[in-house]
Amino acid sequence: MLERSALRLEVIDELKERLSQFVRDFAARRPGCAYADVRLEVRETRYGAAEDGKAKECGDDAEMSFGVRVLAGAGGREGMVAPGYFGQALGGGSLDALQEVLAEGLRHAYERAIANARRKQEAERLFGSLSNSLHSTTLARVEVCRDSVVFPWREDPRGIPSEQMLREAVEATKCAAGLSPRVLSSHAAVASGLIRELFVSSEGACIDQTYPLTRGFFYVVAAGSGAPEAHYDTLGDLKGYEVLRGENVAGTDFLHFAQSLTEETLELAQAPPLPADLGEAVVVTDPHYNALLVHEIVGHPVEADRALKMETGYAGRTWLYGGLRQNMLGQRVASELVSAYSDPALQGFGHYAYDAEGVKARRVVHIDRGIFTGFMNSRESAAIMGTEPNGSMRATDPVYVPLVRMTNTVFAGGERDPHSILREVEEGYYLAGHRIPSISESRENFRITARKVYKIERGELTTLYRNGGISADSKDYLMSIDAVGNDFKVYPIPNCGKGQPMQTMRVGNGGPTMRGRARLAGGAH
Amino acid sequence: MIALDELQGFARDGLARLRRRSDVEAAELFVAANEQLIARLNYTSDIPCNGVHEPKSSTSFGVGVLAVFRAGTERRLGFGSEVGSLTPDGLDRAVTKAARNAVLDPDFHSLPQPPSEAPRLVDYHDPQVMALDDETLVDLGWQALSGAVLTYKDAGFTQTLIVNGDVTVLRERMAIVSTTGIDVADESTILMATITSMIEREQVKGTGWSLATHLAKFTPRDAGAQAAQSAINTIGGVRLPSGGYAAVLGRQAVTELVSNLLVPSLSLDVVDAKASPFCGRLGERVASPCLSLYDDGALPGEIASKKVTCEGLPTGRTDLIEEGRLVGFLADHYTSQKLRSPVREFAPRNGFRFNNGRDFRRRATVFPTNVVVCGHNEAPPEALLAGIERGVYVGRLWYTYPIHGLGPGDFTGTIVGDSYLIEGGKLSRPVKPNTLRVNDNFLRLFNDIVGISRERHATLVWGSEESVLAPEIAVGSLALESIAQFLA
Repeated sequence: MLERSALRLEVIDELKERLSQFVRDFAARRPGCAYADVRLEVRETRYGAAEDGKAKECGDDAEMSFGVRVLAGAGGREGMVAPGYFGQALGGGSLDALQEVLAEGLRHAYERAIANARRKQEAERLFGSLSNSLHSTTLARVEVCRDSVVFPWREDPRGIPSEQMLREAVEATKCAAGLSPRVLSSHAAVASGLIRELFVSSEGACIDQTYPLTRGFFYVVAAGSGAPEAHYDTLGDLKGYEVLRGENVAGTDFLHFAQSLTEETLELAQAPPLPADLGEAVVVTDPHYNALLVHEIVGHPVEADRALKMETGYAGRTWLYGGLRQNMLGQRVASELVSAYSDPALQGFGHYAYDAEGVKARRVVHIDRGIFTGFMNSRESAAIMGTEPNGSMRATDPVYVPLVRMTNTVFAGGERDPHSILREVEEGYYLAGHRIPSISESRENFRITARKVYKIERGELTTLYRNGGISADSKDYLMSIDAVGNDFKVYPIPNCGKGQPMQTMRVGNGGPTMRGRARLAGGAH
Repeated sequence: MIALDELQGFARDGLARLRRRSDVEAAELFVAANEQLIARLNYTSDIPCNGVHEPKSSTSFGVGVLAVFRAGTERRLGFGSEVGSLTPDGLDRAVTKAARNAVLDPDFHSLPQPPSEAPRLVDYHDPQVMALDDETLVDLGWQALSGAVLTYKDAGFTQTLIVNGDVTVLRERMAIVSTTGIDVADESTILMATITSMIEREQVKGTGWSLATHLAKFTPRDAGAQAAQSAINTIGGVRLPSGGYAAVLGRQAVTELVSNLLVPSLSLDVVDAKASPFCGRLGERVASPCLSLYDDGALPGEIASKKVTCEGLPTGRTDLIEEGRLVGFLADHYTSQKLRSPVREFAPRNGFRFNNGRDFRRRATVFPTNVVVCGHNEAPPEALLAGIERGVYVGRLWYTYPIHGLGPGDFTGTIVGDSYLIEGGKLSRPVKPNTLRVNDNFLRLFNDIVGISRERHATLVWGSEESVLAPEIAVGSLALESIAQFLA
C-alpha cells in the first residue's frame, strides 16, 4: 500500500542545511558567479468543488517546485554581471535525485547569465551611447538572515478530509439553488493547505517559512429583469480551516457567505441598471469596494518594477514615476485625509515574514497624509533607485521569477463613523462591494464597477442599481476625498495578474469607508 | 526534454498496468513534458537596466490519470497527477490520488472515443527549437532588443526610450492513451516575440511582434524594429474630445476584443455556467452579417495549431459565427456530453490543458486555438478608411474587460498606442496614447461592423493562450471618453 503521498512539508527539514551549503559551493566554484539563490516550496493542499448541487472534484495532493537565480559575468567590461534563471516543478518521485536536478537548474541559470553578460558587453559596440544605461546587475545589500518561521493555525488543513470540503461545496450550491428558482447556476470551491518555503542564497541566507492558506470561492448567476446577473467573491486568509468556519473578514462561515452572495445577486437581478452617464457626483465607497480601488490606483502604481518600466509591455507603468529625476516622490497626490501603506505584518493574503529574496518584510508607507512617499521594491530596483530594499518580492510559484508584489496594501483607517459620512450626503451614490476594474496603462485613470450602487438622498440609501461604478483620473479622485471612516478592513484578492508568464498572486487589500467625487459610469448604450 | 517515444511508451505501459486493476472501469493517461523559455526585455535609455532582463525557463513533466472507478453500483470519476516521475511508482501514486479523489459526478457520461477522422496536422514541429540551447535563447532576446534600439539609433532618438516585452519559446510533447482506444502523441514548437516600445518624452508607444513555429521563420529583430518605428510614427499625437466616432479597429484591438469578450462568450463551459450573452441564442443573428468567426486548431504554420487536443481528438475547424449568425461553441468532450441534446451536438475540438504548455496536472477544459476573424465582402485596408470623413484608427487597446460581466455586453478599455485620427478617408495625425477610454457594448459593436479587411495576421494579447488571425475591422461608431486631462 502506497502512502497517500510521498511528499510532505517535512522534507525541507532534511534538505535545508544541505541545500544552503550546496548553493554556496556552487557560487564559489563557478568562475564569474557573483550570486546564486534557490527557492524551493512544498505545498500540501486539500480541496473540493461543486456545481449546482453536484460534486465536481475533490483532492488531497502535495507538490514541490523550485526556482533558481544566478548573477554572473564573463569578465571584459569591468564588473559587467547579468542574471539568468531556471524553474522546475517536482513531485515526490523527484526527491532521490533532487540534488542533481537542482545542479542542472543552477547550471542552466549560470549559462544564461554568462551568455547574457557577454551580450550586454557586446551591446556597447553595437548600440554606441545607447548602451550607457546597460549596467552590471547589482543587488542592494541586506541583512543576511537565517531563520525559521511558522505562522499559526487553529484547524490543521491536513486534518480536514477532502470529502468534507466537497460536502461543504455541494451544500453551498444546493443552498443557493434552494433560495429561488431564479438561481440559474452556482459554483463553489474550497481549498485549505499548508505551504512551506525555503530560501537559500550564496550570501548565506537560509529562511524557512511555513504558513496555512485557506480559501472559499463562490459564483452565482440569477435571472431577473434583464441579462442574467453573475457575481463571485472569495473568503480567505493565511489561517487554517477556521477561515471557512467564520474567522474571516466577512465574519461568517462559507455556507452563509454563499447564501448572502446569492441573496444579493437575486436582489440585483431585479434592480435597474445604473444609467449610462449621470455625470460627476458625491460618492461614498465601502471597504470592500475600496479594497479593489486601493489595489488598482495605489497598490500597482507603487510597485518599483513598474516605475523602472519593467512592466511596460504587460501590466503597465506608473504615473508616479517618470524617471530618476522626474517623479512624484515628496509631492501631493491625494487629500491630506488619505494615507496608504503596504504591510505584510497585517493578517491577510499578503502576510509573510520574509520575501522571495530573503529580505525581512516591513511596512512601506506610500502616501502619508496625501504626500507620496515611496515604492515597494526588490533588491535590484532598490539599488537602482538608491533606496533600501523593503521585502516586497514574491512569485506565485517558485518556478517563476519573483516580481514586486502588493502585500496587504490598504488605505489607512480614519476617525469618522461611516454612518455619519453617509448621512451628511444630501445627494450622491453609495458603492458597496467591488466587481471589475479597467485601469489606464500608467494607472492614471480608472473605471471600476461596484456590486451594488445605491442612490443617496438626504443621507439615506434609496434606489438600488446594478451594473454601475465610477470613473475618474486617479489623482483627481484621491484629491477629492473629504471623509475617511474608522471601519478599516482587509479583504482577500486572490487573482492579481502581473508578469510574463502572467503570475496570478494573492494579495490583501482594504481600507475604510471613504467619500469623494467621481463620474458615475453605468451601462453603456 | 524527454523524448516523445519515451512519453508514449510510458503511457502505453501505464494503461496496461491500469487495465489489471479490477476497480477501474475506464481510464485515460495523459503524459507530457513542457518547457517554456523566455527572454524578457527591459531596456531604458535613462535608467540603469539589463537589456535582456530575464533569460529564464519553467519545466515540468509527469502524468495525469482520469479514471472511472467502480464503487458498488456507482461509477466515480477521479483525477490524479504525479510530477517529475515517469516510473511505475509515479504512475501508482497518480492512480492512488485519482481513486482517492473520485466523486460521483452525474454530468460525466464517458471518456472520449477514438475519432473516425485522422488528424490533419502531422509532423509540424521544429527539431531545431526542441534543441535550442541557453545561449540561443539569450541571443533571440538580444536580437529583438537590437531591432528596436538600432531603429532609434538610426533615427537619432537617444532619450527616454523604453524597449519591453519578450521572446517566448514553448516546446511541448504529449501522449494520451485510454481504455476506449485512444493512442496518440503530439509535439509542437512555438516562438513568439511581442515587443512594446516607447519614447516616453513624446508619450508614444509602438508594438511589434513575430510569431512562428519554426526558427527559420522567426524574426524577433523585425518585431523590435517594428515596435520602435511604430512609436516614432505616432509622435505628435493629438487629443480628441469625448464622443462617438466612426472607427477602424487595428489587429491588436480586434484581438483584444475577440480574446477578452467574444471568445469567452463562445465557450461552451461559459454557456454552461449561464454567463454568456449567447445562452439560448444558437441559430440567431448575434453580429453584423459582415462577420464570420471560427476556430481552427489544425491550420498549418499557425502557432496555436496542434495535431490533437489534450483529449486525444483531432483538432479542426469549429464555426462559431457565420455571417452574423451564431452557429457553434468551443467545446471539450466533458461539456459537449453534458450539454448535448437530441437536436444539437457540439464537436469537442477544443479540450486542452494549456498552462504554459500542455499541463498534465489539470483536466482538459475549453480553450481556443487559432481564432479566425473573417468577413463577407472583405476589402483592402484603404477601403475601410475611405468611407470615413472623421474617425479614429484604434491600433491598440488596453485592459479591455466586460465591466458588468459578459451578460450585458458592456465593456471598457483605454487606447494606448499605434492609433490615429482618420480625416477625409485617410490616417491624418496620431492620437495621443492613454487619453481616450472606450465605453461601449460589444454586443452592439459587433452588430455595427461595416467592413473587414482581407489581410489577416496572427496576433496575441497578454495572458491569452489563443492566437487570433485578425483583420482590421471598420465599425459605424465607437463611444470614446476623453480622460487624463493632466497629460499635456
